[in-house]
Amino acid sequence: MSAQKFAADKLLWETLGRWKRSSPELNRIQFLKTVPFFDRLSNRQLKSVSAIMFERTYDTDETIFEKGQPGAALFLILDGKVAIEIFSETSTTRLAVLETGAFFGELALLDETPRSADARALERTRTLALYRNDLNEFVHRHPRAACQIYRSLAGMVGDRLRLTNELVQRKTPVDTAGLG
Amino acid sequence: MSNGQEFGEKERERKVRRTVFYLIFSALALILGGFLIWKLSGLILPIIVGCLLAFVFRPVKDRFRIRWLPHGLRVLCSFAAIGVVVFFAFNTLRKHIPDEEQKLEFKVRLKYKLNERYRQLVAKSPEGKSNAVTPLIEKEVGPLMDKVNQSLELNSQERDLFLKYAAGYNGKPSIQSKFVDYFWTNQKTREYVIPEKLSAGVESAAAPVAAAPAQPPAAEDGTNLESKISAWILAPLIFLFLGFDNGQIRRFFISLVPNRYFELSLTVLDELDDAIGRYLRGTLLECFLVGLTLTLGLMLLGIPLGIAVAIGVVSGLLNAIPFLGTVIALVIGVGYALIAENVTPLIPGLNPNDLALYVLILVVIVHVLDDVVFQPFVLGSAANVHPLVVVIAIISGSLIMGLWGMLFAIPTVVVVKTAIATFFKELKDYRII
Repeated sequence: MSAQKFAADKLLWETLGRWKRSSPELNRIQFLKTVPFFDRLSNRQLKSVSAIMFERTYDTDETIFEKGQPGAALFLILDGKVAIEIFSETSTTRLAVLETGAFFGELALLDETPRSADARALERTRTLALYRNDLNEFVHRHPRAACQIYRSLAGMVGDRLRLTNELVQRKTPVDTAGLG
Repeated sequence: MSNGQEFGEKERERKVRRTVFYLIFSALALILGGFLIWKLSGLILPIIVGCLLAFVFRPVKDRFRIRWLPHGLRVLCSFAAIGVVVFFAFNTLRKHIPDEEQKLEFKVRLKYKLNERYRQLVAKSPEGKSNAVTPLIEKEVGPLMDKVNQSLELNSQERDLFLKYAAGYNGKPSIQSKFVDYFWTNQKTREYVIPEKLSAGVESAAAPVAAAPAQPPAAEDGTNLESKISAWILAPLIFLFLGFDNGQIRRFFISLVPNRYFELSLTVLDELDDAIGRYLRGTLLECFLVGLTLTLGLMLLGIPLGIAVAIGVVSGLLNAIPFLGTVIALVIGVGYALIAENVTPLIPGLNPNDLALYVLILVVIVHVLDDVVFQPFVLGSAANVHPLVVVIAIISGSLIMGLWGMLFAIPTVVVVKTAIATFFKELKDYRII
């Protein structure tokens, strides 16, 4: 094989590899790997999870969900910033500002409990939404992957319960920053 | 003007542009949709049937899970299984749907049998004495029989055709001579008597027509049938392609929904899918159970398997039309029982001459079973529609699309009712209204 042909083949394969690596699907899978919810899943399982997610883009100041609405989906921030806030008649309490890689509204994956706070995009924000009933369907098709997701969810809910218990025991002013 | 104000102004302008764009786009889509519906009205029914079948049988595809089998092959396998069942059911049905000749023979045969029964009913004893009830029957039932005979009378065109078929026409064997004789006898006398009692002279009257040349069926009918068949090819195609869909269609429509209604639309779609799916699949199961019960009952009464299946399939399908389904099942069942000959019931002690009565009892039993057992267990309260709405819907359906309209009337009412109820409930839950 001539050196020229070898160089041409190498260039071709590198280009193809770059193209494959930069496909939106692969980007999404790479992103999902960084989210604690899905860090135990294999690439193949992540591909299946990615296929049932909805990508939504929110403008600055656009509301993602409001307090009191029935929860239906978990949101992951692909890029942008989201504020979790509670509005009252007299004031607004900002509970947290979430950035790329963070997630919120995870309790919606368990039941239709109303949202406990508002979520608002602070800048143009791209999110991935995982709908509860799609995850329920996913359990039948990919039981192992779904089991891992629910384990992560249970772990997170457990952590938050422990944190709440500690806070109640200490009877200190509640700092809920970081809670979705 | 500060940067913030400028940005706000641009955003407002963008919102106005977006609203105008959506309005124009929606208006254009509506006009185009209306035009297509008007132009392609012949395709609407096959499309609806294809979509309905795909929707109803989706759980079959979802439950057919073999890990190593690719999605496409899984869909093909599950739909092939459904296709085979549907093909055999309709093939059996097709074989027993009367063609032109059988329809004519059916009319003559029914008239023959009805009059035979009537004469048995009003027959005098060998001594020439009649019982006290006979004159009363003759007085009351006689005029009714006259009307029935008139309605079963063949018109001149049908008469010619019947005589051609009687002698063997269009590659078909000749009709049983007993009915041809009956036809000829009463053609002249109109007294509706049984031909065995008449002279043999009438038989020869059929001879001149026997040599009638066979005519090919009209070309127009063929073209019509062809266009109908080509339109109906769409139904299985849509059924198959929707089966291959792995949620892409839903994702596409959800992607069009504004962010504000994202979660709402997911919830509404899901609840609609669940409620309508439960109703349609429940109705299908109910129709299947009714058809199966009727088929088994007819078989026990000694009706041949093919005919029993055909009556069961038609009655089962038409059971989706409230009130009317049972009446049609009764008419078909009793109609066949009246013309059936050489039937031996499998249940001992039943008199084959009373077959029509047994079929009547069977249809009533199946109807009661449907009301008391099938509907409550299979459908539950999914189809709570007021009887007045049912009647209006069926009449409207028949005016718009004939039999198909009647068949789809109640499912359409249930779908619309469920859609409106779910939509308003969710709009309130999401605090949009």
